[in-house]
Amino acid sequence: MANNEAPAQVELIIPCQPEYVGVARLALLGIASRMPFTYEQIEDLRLAVGELCTSSVEWAQKNKMHEARIVLRAEIFSDKLTVDILDTAGPRRCGESTSRDEEEENLAQLLITLLVDEVEVTPQPEGTLVRMVKYAGQQ
Amino acid sequence: MRASNNSRKLEAQEAAGWSEQEAEELFRQYKKTNDPELRERLVDLHKNLVRYLAGKFANRGEPIEDLIQVGMIGLINAIDRFDPDRGIKFSTYATPTIVGEIRRYFRDKAWSLKVPRRLQELNQAASKASEELTQKLGRPPTIKEIADRLGATEEETVEAMELGSAYEAVSLDSTLEQEDDSPLSLGEFVGGVDVSLENIETYGDVKRAIERLDPREKAIIYYRFFRNMSQTEVAKRLGISQMHVSRLQQRALKKLREILSE
Repeated sequence: MANNEAPAQVELIIPCQPEYVGVARLALLGIASRMPFTYEQIEDLRLAVGELCTSSVEWAQKNKMHEARIVLRAEIFSDKLTVDILDTAGPRRCGESTSRDEEEENLAQLLITLLVDEVEVTPQPEGTLVRMVKYAGQQ
Repeated sequence: MRASNNSRKLEAQEAAGWSEQEAEELFRQYKKTNDPELRERLVDLHKNLVRYLAGKFANRGEPIEDLIQVGMIGLINAIDRFDPDRGIKFSTYATPTIVGEIRRYFRDKAWSLKVPRRLQELNQAASKASEELTQKLGRPPTIKEIADRLGATEEETVEAMELGSAYEAVSLDSTLEQEDDSPLSLGEFVGGVDVSLENIETYGDVKRAIERLDPREKAIIYYRFFRNMSQTEVAKRLGISQMHVSRLQQRALKKLREILSE
């Protein structure tokens, strides 16, 4: 595949608050529907993005980071879509949980790994970065 | 926040009369005895996991009850294969199986054709609501006003308005390109209603009788006779041997005959 071409990029910055999760989901719909994904794959992507943003929102509330933001960056390649979700929601401490209990948080994480092809979580100075990749044209 | 949550969870567990250790013990006993009653109880204990996961897929145009039903098949498979001594939590073990069944269900339903229709309908309803509201208000309505009128969320409404129109209905007389020069119309590819299947579905008695089978028998009847899968395919799907499918199928059919002659 022609991976050496520069990918188109879309960036969206939203407040780290529950009512904006839908905005991220909508943006993903617009982006992914321009690519050769099936409808089901697009819904999987949107579910994953929704879960990730909800997780960011939960931690922002837990850490009382009321000014926190989420930066969503999508890179559109000819054969895949990568989505970075970077929040400034503060640290996610192991063994602690948000208003969702630990069990639910773990299930949500597990669900995401089932929905996309690659997921990578990297702690950042101000929050967390999650990068996920979904390949187009395969079921 | 956390304390109240945990106590809520504990209350729920107590109400159900179990704890995680208890579930583990049940799994051990079940592995030893294969007692169907124990399995029934394990299914009962983990119903909420299926509900939780099915809920995540609830906005895709299929009734949640159906998603729970197929999720239950995944749960039963997971229960049968779970080894409590491996040190992995049951919910972690079962989630991929349950989600797998739910996603397969969407694929089997040729869902990619169905959803655009759902969006199309919502799209039409949205334009109609928009027109009516414009007349009533004397100005174009906001998205929120349209959403409220439709009983949909704002996200769904925008989605429908944006995308619904992208899926134009195609005429059945439109021709498809072909190698030779005899054009085929799309209508020629549309299948007829399978009368035999419809008959089965309209037999309320049969339906009610199937309801009384246990979940695995139900699954086998469903896959074999409503999905036309071979015994081998069903065996693969349920993670059991073809012989086992054959036996369970015989048993299920015998049960159905008995129930129907009651």
